[in-house]
Amino acid sequence: MAGFLDNVQWPACLDLGEKRNTVASVAAGVLFFSGWWVIIDAAVLYPSQEQLNHAFHTCGVFSTIAFFMVNAVSNGQVRGDVYGEGCLGRTGARLWLFLGLMLMFASLIAATWILFGAFVVVPSRLVYPGLSIFFQNLLIFFSTLIYKFGRTEDLWG
Amino acid sequence: MAGIKALISLSFGGAIGLMFLMLGCALPVYDKYWPLFLLFFYILAPIPYCISRRVVDDTDSASNACKELALFLTTGIVVSAFGLPIVFARASVIAWGACALVLTGNVVIFATILGFFLVFGSNDDFSWQQW
Repeated sequence: MAGFLDNVQWPACLDLGEKRNTVASVAAGVLFFSGWWVIIDAAVLYPSQEQLNHAFHTCGVFSTIAFFMVNAVSNGQVRGDVYGEGCLGRTGARLWLFLGLMLMFASLIAATWILFGAFVVVPSRLVYPGLSIFFQNLLIFFSTLIYKFGRTEDLWG
Repeated sequence: MAGIKALISLSFGGAIGLMFLMLGCALPVYDKYWPLFLLFFYILAPIPYCISRRVVDDTDSASNACKELALFLTTGIVVSAFGLPIVFARASVIAWGACALVLTGNVVIFATILGFFLVFGSNDDFSWQQW
């Protein structure tokens, strides 16, 4: 019984090789900008404060800031591989990455809270704007992960 | 040389794409010129990649952070060029038929730009006297 799926293989186990970075960059780009267009769509269709409170846009803004924070440091800097100290060195790089990831998770949690607390449990309100805030942050979250961890920094693929 | 035929077919593709965009705006049943904002995206789309290729000289390394950022931004511009007509149509600024024509034009134009980079882009010495 144990391991009965051992011989089952993914039909096309993608061996991307050299193109892995390209595919990861493109996928991250699609996800990130789709997230922003989802919220643009909701903001255009529901412009009033009652339907989509304008303060809820801060989640998406912080997600985007977190995206750039997380991707500003390379994995090499966090490991301490690069020569030539930056202003704060390896500890600074780790702290920056930690803060960026914390901001990213906080935005995702906030978006989920907004969806359920301000839209789902309020029956008189259309839920679509809340869904769009949630999906914006979810898409930016996955985009960050793919852009950060989907690319390899080895020079030879 | 593979240059002339590819150039002619790419320019034909570009013309067809722009034709679709103009049809989506100018047909009497639609008559709304908002989709012309997409021309802005068409012009912006090749720029990040061109800048990254000019700025970074090492074409021998497989991974390159600047090139990947350029690809990220280019993908974003392409997604935006598809998102804008859809948002227009959902907000009833343009008709859905016009949106469909504009999206078709998008596909053709971006395929043309991609074809341009694939055919004329990969050369060992990046010189401007290619043709």
